[in-house]
Amino acid sequence: MEFLFLCLMLIPFVWICFLGLSFFIRFNLSEFFLSEGSKWISVIMSALSLSLSVLVIMNRSQPLHFDYPSWIQVGDYEFKSRFIVDLLGSTYALLTSLLIGIIFRFSRNYLHKEEGYFRFIFLLSTLMLGLMIVSFARSLDLIFVGWELVGTTSVLLIGYFYRQVQPVRHSIKAVISYRFCDMGILAAGAWAHHYMHTTDFTVLHELLSDPHLHESGHGGSIALTFIGVFVIWGALAKSGQLPFSSWLPAAMEGPTPSSAIFYGALSVHLGPFLLLRFYDYFHHFPILLWIIGIIGATTAIYASAVGRTRSDAKTMLAYATISQVGVIWVEIALGFTQFALFHLLAHASMRTWQFLRSASLIQDFVENPVVLQHQKVQRSTSFEKYVPKALRKRIFIHALHGFHLDYINLKIINFLSWPLRSYFEFEKKWLGLNNTIVKFIFKKR
Amino acid sequence: MSEELNPLSFEAILKRIRNKLPIQNPLHGFVHNNILMMFEDKEFHEALFEAGQLYRANSYLDLEKYKAKFHEKKISDKDVEDGIAQYSLHYNDSSTAKRLGLSLKEFYHYLMLSEMAYNDDDIQPEIKDEELWNRCAQKMSGQVLTHSQGHKKYRAKEYWEKYYNESLASTTHPYIINIISNFLDQGQSFWSNPYSETGFWKFFCSDMDIVRNFGTDWQKILGHKLDTFIGHTPQQVIESELARMNIPKEAWESYLLDLLFDLKGWSGMVNKLETEPWQATVKAPNIKLVDFIAAIILIESSLDEYHAHSHSTDLAMIYGREEERTLRGFQLSLALYQITKTFHLQSSWMDQLTPEDLLHIVDQIDIAEKAHLVRLWHEAYENHFYREALSAIVSHDRTVVDNSHPEAQVLFCIDDREESIRRHVEEVNPSIKTFGVVGFFGLDMKYSSVKNNRLIAQCPPVIEASRIVREVPRNEEHAKSFFRMNKFLGVSDLNLYYMSRTLFRGFFSTLILGVLSIVPMFLQVFFPKQNKIFKEKMNQLISPTPSTEMAIEQTQEGHGYTKVEMAKIVQSILNMCGIQQDFCKLVIVMGHGSSSTNNPFKQAYGCGACGGNAGISNSRVFAKMANDVEVRHHLKSLGIVIPKETYFASGFHDTCTDEIHFFDMELIPDSYLEAFGRIKMDLNQACKLNAFERCQRFSSTEAKENPEMALKHVRERAEDLAQPRPEYGHSNNALAIVGRRGMTKGLFLNRRSFLLTYDWRIDSDGEILKQVVLGGIPVAVNINMDYYFSSVDNDHFGCGSKLPLNLTSLLGVMTGSSSDLRIGLARQMVEIHEPIRNLTVIEAPLERVKKIFDNHGRLKKLLYNHWMRLSVLDPETNTWYLFKEHEFQKIDVEKLAINHFKTSKDLFGKSHKEQDFAEIG
Repeated sequence: MEFLFLCLMLIPFVWICFLGLSFFIRFNLSEFFLSEGSKWISVIMSALSLSLSVLVIMNRSQPLHFDYPSWIQVGDYEFKSRFIVDLLGSTYALLTSLLIGIIFRFSRNYLHKEEGYFRFIFLLSTLMLGLMIVSFARSLDLIFVGWELVGTTSVLLIGYFYRQVQPVRHSIKAVISYRFCDMGILAAGAWAHHYMHTTDFTVLHELLSDPHLHESGHGGSIALTFIGVFVIWGALAKSGQLPFSSWLPAAMEGPTPSSAIFYGALSVHLGPFLLLRFYDYFHHFPILLWIIGIIGATTAIYASAVGRTRSDAKTMLAYATISQVGVIWVEIALGFTQFALFHLLAHASMRTWQFLRSASLIQDFVENPVVLQHQKVQRSTSFEKYVPKALRKRIFIHALHGFHLDYINLKIINFLSWPLRSYFEFEKKWLGLNNTIVKFIFKKR
Repeated sequence: MSEELNPLSFEAILKRIRNKLPIQNPLHGFVHNNILMMFEDKEFHEALFEAGQLYRANSYLDLEKYKAKFHEKKISDKDVEDGIAQYSLHYNDSSTAKRLGLSLKEFYHYLMLSEMAYNDDDIQPEIKDEELWNRCAQKMSGQVLTHSQGHKKYRAKEYWEKYYNESLASTTHPYIINIISNFLDQGQSFWSNPYSETGFWKFFCSDMDIVRNFGTDWQKILGHKLDTFIGHTPQQVIESELARMNIPKEAWESYLLDLLFDLKGWSGMVNKLETEPWQATVKAPNIKLVDFIAAIILIESSLDEYHAHSHSTDLAMIYGREEERTLRGFQLSLALYQITKTFHLQSSWMDQLTPEDLLHIVDQIDIAEKAHLVRLWHEAYENHFYREALSAIVSHDRTVVDNSHPEAQVLFCIDDREESIRRHVEEVNPSIKTFGVVGFFGLDMKYSSVKNNRLIAQCPPVIEASRIVREVPRNEEHAKSFFRMNKFLGVSDLNLYYMSRTLFRGFFSTLILGVLSIVPMFLQVFFPKQNKIFKEKMNQLISPTPSTEMAIEQTQEGHGYTKVEMAKIVQSILNMCGIQQDFCKLVIVMGHGSSSTNNPFKQAYGCGACGGNAGISNSRVFAKMANDVEVRHHLKSLGIVIPKETYFASGFHDTCTDEIHFFDMELIPDSYLEAFGRIKMDLNQACKLNAFERCQRFSSTEAKENPEMALKHVRERAEDLAQPRPEYGHSNNALAIVGRRGMTKGLFLNRRSFLLTYDWRIDSDGEILKQVVLGGIPVAVNINMDYYFSSVDNDHFGCGSKLPLNLTSLLGVMTGSSSDLRIGLARQMVEIHEPIRNLTVIEAPLERVKKIFDNHGRLKKLLYNHWMRLSVLDPETNTWYLFKEHEFQKIDVEKLAINHFKTSKDLFGKSHKEQDFAEIG
């Protein structure tokens, strides 16, 4: 079993090292080689992760722990390479390898003759490695490594058509959201190290139930709650929850298969995945579950209202995804963790499928025998019914503009950054003043 | 009595603007058009110049590409000469050439090969001839040449971009695209726009009322502006805004056009839905072009005010500014130096000239370089092809006419993709005769199938469909369950679409269908073909399609045809084919279409003559008409005697999968089955070979091995969800040949030619030729021009790469999450196309051709303004003519060497490189 697990980690690692190396020595790999290679990688990975999941289930879902020598050691701090293979992790790994396999096969024809084919394969393989790390990591430190790999590949694929302005601008939007929330994970890690001397989530919640915890000089329960708040903060951006919902619809700039795999399936569900990982911890603090539930519920309603007004295939799917992920957050808050995992799997597969065939919509509608006769009727029996008539038009316009989320975010950022800005202004003035003084002195001479 | 509009009145300006906007239909009704149809009044190069500025596009390939072809010998010296000769017929201003002491041809020739670079600040050219350089420097010291950019600039857009790096794409466009795509939406969004009845202007005002409180600063300014315009009509708003910007009335048109062309796709769509609301996918919303213009002009002027405020700039200075580019001493000396070198002049040529004269020459050559250089190359490039094509056609032996009684006659469409299959059919079985007629078979009908009530016009867009023909089940009773099931499936499909994207219903549908969806996804991605077979089987199981027939009889006004009309239609088609008595036992009427999946451009692959749809219905209706006893009786009185034993069968060729289907098989009398079976086998064999020929252009290696693998490969392509190139469509079309099959039989044309059958001997007064030419040539030119523009500048005339396309409003596609509505064809569709204007070759007495082209408005424009080339073979005198300099000139075609092959299949293999023409047999 350990062998299976090691293969799952090492195969994508060796593969991307190979690809990266060939790029460095400027050896051009042929499209044929890349597509065949990625095909076999995904077949092997799917087989491995499938057998791993079966073994985990046969093992009565008892998690297995694998410890390896530390990566870095600085003073007291040790970056431990500790992994866990449990139901959650192996399921996510299985989902990852299956969907990436499908996307690899899909891209073979879709990106045929593209100059960025190598880049695309390389980034998807990196995504695979990142997700494997996240799936099996046992500590927040290690999760962060995979988390960053996923974030970076996601951003680079939004900017796949980097010669155009808009993809680049939207990928920057994604970077900002990601970075802002990565601070949450880092903060959670730092606080956990400080107060509990570990970020291993299997140990964390056990420590919490330790009656000596409060006596032995650990921070108060407020500090411990904050670790949870930071984890939630960290999970916000990847799954597009409020207030970080507006980057995701804007991220539909890359080739369709990359939009499908990231924003329909694997990347957006990392938020709920992280919450599931820390569920035992949250369980000790009802307030955290309340936060998760409220964020999830608001996002679900918000995204579903905005999504209704979208008239293009991809951003509409993006909002639909955000709203279902919001529902998954609520499920986690209510304690239905197994159910949330199932919902996650179902949702990821369905959205991938919908993204991949999003170009068929015109044909679907035109060939549909009821579109001309019943289409209007179908559309009016919705959400609007529950909105008071007098407000309908106003709410429609608000929804059309995403309830001005960008505007509100901008206001908040402006508010938060005013110390910086005023310092900047001050600095300018100060330097200007210096300048005049210097000039004055020199002139005198 | 029509009142002449004042050309500067708002209505007149608006009318002219409408004419210049892109004319593309919503994608479900895509038809190939010359996208510059409204520019056909102008000479080709001039129209391209004007359109290039409007569309901000290159109207020709990059200069480098032509030069590369020249170095690869794909353009020879002879082609360059011919190109110059052709070009200088029209552009014959030789004043500059004279001043240099050169003839116009020499001037053009030197210009083509020039490498002048004084306009480019980054390149530092080498100076070898010190003496000449000193002379130039001396002449030009202290001189200044000012190029003015022509007219004044009224838009501040470029100013902000240039000096402050603020582009519209990041400020106002996301907002405009958001509201316009939502307003035009045909049903993609679940919450339909509540203002769609009240109109766009109302919607915009109420929208701004809310957004101004939450928007960026320019939106606040816009809000205040709207307050001052309460009670104004959109037209008043536009006029007062234009007046406020101090734009003179003469410049309104160009200002507004420039504004609209920022979002040309959306503007064109607004115009389309206003002027032709029936083109809408579902229902056109209440939108007018003036509303849209008023909205965007307000947005632009608010943004200008905001920028002006934040950069403390005076707007009055920006509106109507003149931008100049000046060349000074060094650049001018360089220019003079390079001109001397380029045109191989003596270094003393400038001695007699004053500096003012020299400046004038530099200016003129600068203009000439910009205007003529790339055009000359393009002419040369085209000439290469024309020369090869004419040589191949002229030297082809036309006398081999098979007089033996053929086994069957097959009527194909004129489409260039049917060229290859006709060739293969004749090679497989020489006793099958093929014909090319327009694929709608003269039927100006709207059609609805049993599966869908929607009426679809099955005729070229220039013809207005006058009749409705429906497909009806033979047995109403049996079909009832089919109709129920069909409706149920439609409703559930639609519900599933909306529901899976909402909150609560989305929750349940995700849970139920979610994990299951991995199965069809897996099947369709990994086993596309098997998946299709499985799906068809399931369909047959759930709701078997009933056996149907075409309701062609006239039942009421506008429905169906009378017997006399039917006879007329059949007569005209048979006349075009030149079949009057030699009827075979079997005549197969072959429509065509193309199947592909996950392809928003499906319509672009269909039968152009059927408005982009599949030609199944037309072939079925035509065959039914021709088999009708009463119709044949009427035909007899019209002089066409169809023998009793002749049977018309209806077939359908799928140009993507290379399958041939037959319809109404249950009606075929048993006595025909054996002969029919034989023909079917031959046709299937031809399909295989055709697939093999097509696969040479694809990169799949196994498909190039043998015809069986090729057929397998093309069938998979059509079902592949991920395939951006199900087929290459009309790529490389460049010819249209009108005449008897003898002209082209046994000539390999590499799928580059439309083939129209016409027999001049049975046409006494030119009426038949008129039908053939009017039905076919405009369609061929439209397709040719559509491919031309999409391939020369795919980003501006076409719609860019297919990969990030995002379907919007059920009308078109955007690139990425929000962009202009894209027009034209995708890069993957045209990547192998060679942009060459159509060359039409007609075998008919010259007078008849002249009469047709001179009397038809559009054809005359196309021909005289060089949108197409025309060559005529007068069979009475056996002379060749080419249309040049507004008249037909006798030509003597040089005969180039041509390769001979036993069969078409022998052309393909590892050792051969692609060639356009070859003799077969």
